[in-house]
Amino acid sequence: MTAAAFDPAETTADVIIVGSGAAGGMAAYSLTKAGLRCLMLEAGRDYDPKAEVNMMAPESDAPLRGAATPDKPFGYFDATVGGGWEVDGEPYTMREGTDFRWYRARMLGGRTNHWGRHVPRWGPYDFKARSRDGLGVDWPIGYDDVAPFYDRVERMIGVNGGRIELENHPDSSPGCLMPPPKPRIPEMLLEATCESMGIPVRAAHTAVLTRDMPDDVAPRSACFNATPCGRGCTIGAMFQTTTSFLPMAKATGKLAIVTDAMVSKVVMASADRAAGVDYVDRKTGARHRVRARAVILAAGTCETTRLLLNSGDTPAGLANSSGQLGRNLTDSTGASFRAYVPALAGRPRYNEDGIGGQHIYIPFWLYQEQQRGELDFPRGYHFEIGGRFGIPPAAALPRVWGAGLKKAVRAASGATIGMTLRGEMIPNKDSYCEIDPGVKDRFGIPVLRFAFRWSQHELNQVAHGQRTAHAVFRRMNATILDPELPPEKLITAGGEIIHELGTARMGPDARSSVVDSYGQTWEVGNLVLMDGAIFASGAHKNPTLTILALALRASERLAARFKTGAFA
Amino acid sequence: MTPSRRETLQWVMAAAALPLARWTPPAMAAGTDTPPPFDVVADWPDAVPPPLPARGYGRDPDLMAPKVPWPLTLNKAQRATVDLLGDLILPADEQSPGAGTLGVGAFVDEWISAPYPIQRQDRAQVLGGLMWLDAQSRALHGAAFDAITPAQRAGLLDALVVTTPVTSMAKPVAFMDTLRYLFVLGFYSLPEGKADMGFIGDQPTPGDYPGPTPEALAHFTDMLDGLGLPVS
Repeated sequence: MTAAAFDPAETTADVIIVGSGAAGGMAAYSLTKAGLRCLMLEAGRDYDPKAEVNMMAPESDAPLRGAATPDKPFGYFDATVGGGWEVDGEPYTMREGTDFRWYRARMLGGRTNHWGRHVPRWGPYDFKARSRDGLGVDWPIGYDDVAPFYDRVERMIGVNGGRIELENHPDSSPGCLMPPPKPRIPEMLLEATCESMGIPVRAAHTAVLTRDMPDDVAPRSACFNATPCGRGCTIGAMFQTTTSFLPMAKATGKLAIVTDAMVSKVVMASADRAAGVDYVDRKTGARHRVRARAVILAAGTCETTRLLLNSGDTPAGLANSSGQLGRNLTDSTGASFRAYVPALAGRPRYNEDGIGGQHIYIPFWLYQEQQRGELDFPRGYHFEIGGRFGIPPAAALPRVWGAGLKKAVRAASGATIGMTLRGEMIPNKDSYCEIDPGVKDRFGIPVLRFAFRWSQHELNQVAHGQRTAHAVFRRMNATILDPELPPEKLITAGGEIIHELGTARMGPDARSSVVDSYGQTWEVGNLVLMDGAIFASGAHKNPTLTILALALRASERLAARFKTGAFA
Repeated sequence: MTPSRRETLQWVMAAAALPLARWTPPAMAAGTDTPPPFDVVADWPDAVPPPLPARGYGRDPDLMAPKVPWPLTLNKAQRATVDLLGDLILPADEQSPGAGTLGVGAFVDEWISAPYPIQRQDRAQVLGGLMWLDAQSRALHGAAFDAITPAQRAGLLDALVVTTPVTSMAKPVAFMDTLRYLFVLGFYSLPEGKADMGFIGDQPTPGDYPGPTPEALAHFTDMLDGLGLPVS
C-alpha cells in the first residue's frame, strides 16, 4: 500500500517544500495527491509521536514534577523538541526597548505537535477590517473565497464543535464538525454567569477527534478523554501533521523528507524564477543545493521571512520591491484573569479531563457596539476558559500551616476559574523583523532582529477584557486573584501567544504587498509562501485553521498551474 | 521577569497540562504590621553556599525515561529537617500521610538543586531559611529546630504565616511561602496527594466524554440558586 519514496539524489522534485508544520504538511498532502513529486526540507530532527510521546506518565515521573523550565517552557513532557523560546546556537536579537519572544520547535511536524488546537473560523469582517474601521489593510479575498476551504479543512483535520450563530462567527456547513464534548461544571457556571450578563458562551471548535477517522494509511482514533494534549497524541486524536498529512503523503511515493535540513536561502535561475534552495545539514554542517520547478516556503512566519530577506541580490531581500517584507508583524494580544469561586469549593468529584483543553469559550460579541463607536478599541478579542480539578494555585490558598492547609487544598481544588484573553493586534510601523547586520547563527546564516510595540488600540482592548472578566468574577461572588495591573503590565510580550503573522502580506498588487492571494510572490512566479507570513491582518481568532485553508487553496492553485504547463 | 509575566506563563502552562499551578505568593506588605511573638529575631544569613556546577536536562531529553541530571544539595540533617517541616505543614490525617513521610524533602532537594533561574532563587531562599530557622530556634530555645519541643516549633511556624510581617521577618516569611508552595506541589502531585484531593482522572475513557455526574449536576443547580443565576 505504501509506495517507496523517490530518491531526491536521483530524481529532481517538482516542488520543494520548506517546513513540515500546518502549511507544509497541507502542501505535501495536497500536491502529492495531485501527482507532483515533493521534496520536504525540515530544519528539525525526525520525530514520531507514536514512539516518543510519553502520554500516560504522571507528572511525578518527571524532573521538577514536570514544571516549566527554560529548557522545556511548557513542561517536561511537552512535545516541543530542540527549541522553545530559544534554540541553542540559533539566536535572534531585538531592537532596544523591544520585548519579543519567538517560539520555535526543531522537529518534524513543527508546532502542530504541541499546538493549542482552538480553531475558530474567521468571519467576513476579519478579511475586510479596514473597510469597517479604516485601520490596516483589507485582504484581497473575502470570507466567501475561503469558506469552501474551511469546510474541507475541518473535515480533513477533524474538528469538534457546535453552532455559534453570532455576527462575524460563521457556522460550518452541515457535516463538517464532530460533536463537541459536554462542558464541565466550572464551564457551566461561567456560561450561566456570562449569559445572565449578555455575554455569549459557545462550544469551542477544537481540532480533537470525538469520532474515529478511519484511513488506510493513517487511521486516527477518537479522543479517549485523558492525558494532556501538549504532550502529543499517540492515538492521533489531536491533529498533528506527523500522524496525518505526512504519512498520507509519504504513502503516495511522491514525498521525500529530509530532516535536519536548515534552509539558508532561495537560489535563482533568473530574476523572476527560483531554481531551488541551499540548506545546511544541522548534524554535519555539510552544505547542499537542491532544485525543483517550484519552491514553497512554509517555514513559519518569521523563518520564511528571514529566508527571503537572506535571499536575492540586494539587502532588501528577495521578492521585496514593495518594501513590505518583514513589516506588519503582529501577534495576538494576551492577558489572563483568575478567581477563586467559593461556590465551587468542595464540590462533588468526577472526571474533568475531557478532551484536554477548554470545551467552551466566549466569542467576541461587541461588533455592533464597536461599529457605533461605543468602545475605545477597534478590534475584537475572545476568552478561552479554564477551570478543573487539580492542584489549586498558591494564590487561592490561605497562609496557614498544618491540618488547615490540607483542608484548604481540598476545598480549593477545582474552585478556581481562569479567563484567558486573545485579541487582535493592528499592524503598526514599529513592529517588524529585519536581518541583524552583526549576528549570525551557528551555520553562518544572518539572524532576525525584532522590533515590537503594542499600540493604544491593544492596551485599551486588554483593559476592557480585564473589566469584563472581573465583572464576571464578581457576579459569581468570586475572589479575584489577579494583582490590579495597568494594561501595559497586564498584556503579554510580543510573540508570547505564538501567533506571529503578517511579515510577507498578501494584497491586490505588487506595490503594496509581497504575495497574491494564493501566496505566489509577485516577483518570482514559481515561489509560493504558505504560512502565517502572508496574512494581511490577524483577527482575534487563532490562525491555524486559516493557515491550513489558505495552504490548501494555494496548493490546488499551484497544482493547476503545473497542469497547464506554467513550469514546463 | 515581572510578576505579571510569571503569572501569565504559569496560566499558559496550567491551561496546557494538569493544573500544576506555578507559584504566585499571596500578597504581602512588609514592614507594616504584626510583630513576631518574640523579642529576638535572628539575622537572615548573609550568604548561602554557592551551587555546584550543573547542567539542565536540555531541550530534547528522553521523555520515555525521565532523569534528574543535576547533583543534589541537602545533607542528611537538612533533608531530615525538611521532612520534619513537611510533616508539620502538611501533617498526616485520616485522608493521607504527612508530606515528610512521603519524602517531600527529596523533592525539595531536587527542586532547589536544579540549574534554572526560578529554582536558583528558591535555593537561596530555602537554604537561607533553614539556616535562619536553626539560628532563631537556638536564640529562643537554645537548640536547633529539630531538637526543640513540638509546642516551640508550632510557635515558630505561627510567626511565619502572618500576612503583614515586620521588616525583620519579611525574608523568613517569604521562605515559608516558598517552602509551603513546594510542599503543596511536591505532595499533591503524588498519587497519595491526588487521592487526598479526591482527584479522578488520568484514565482513558473511550466514547463521548461523560460529563458531570448527577450528583455534581444537582450541586450545580443549588449553586446557581445560591448565586441567583437562572438555570438554563
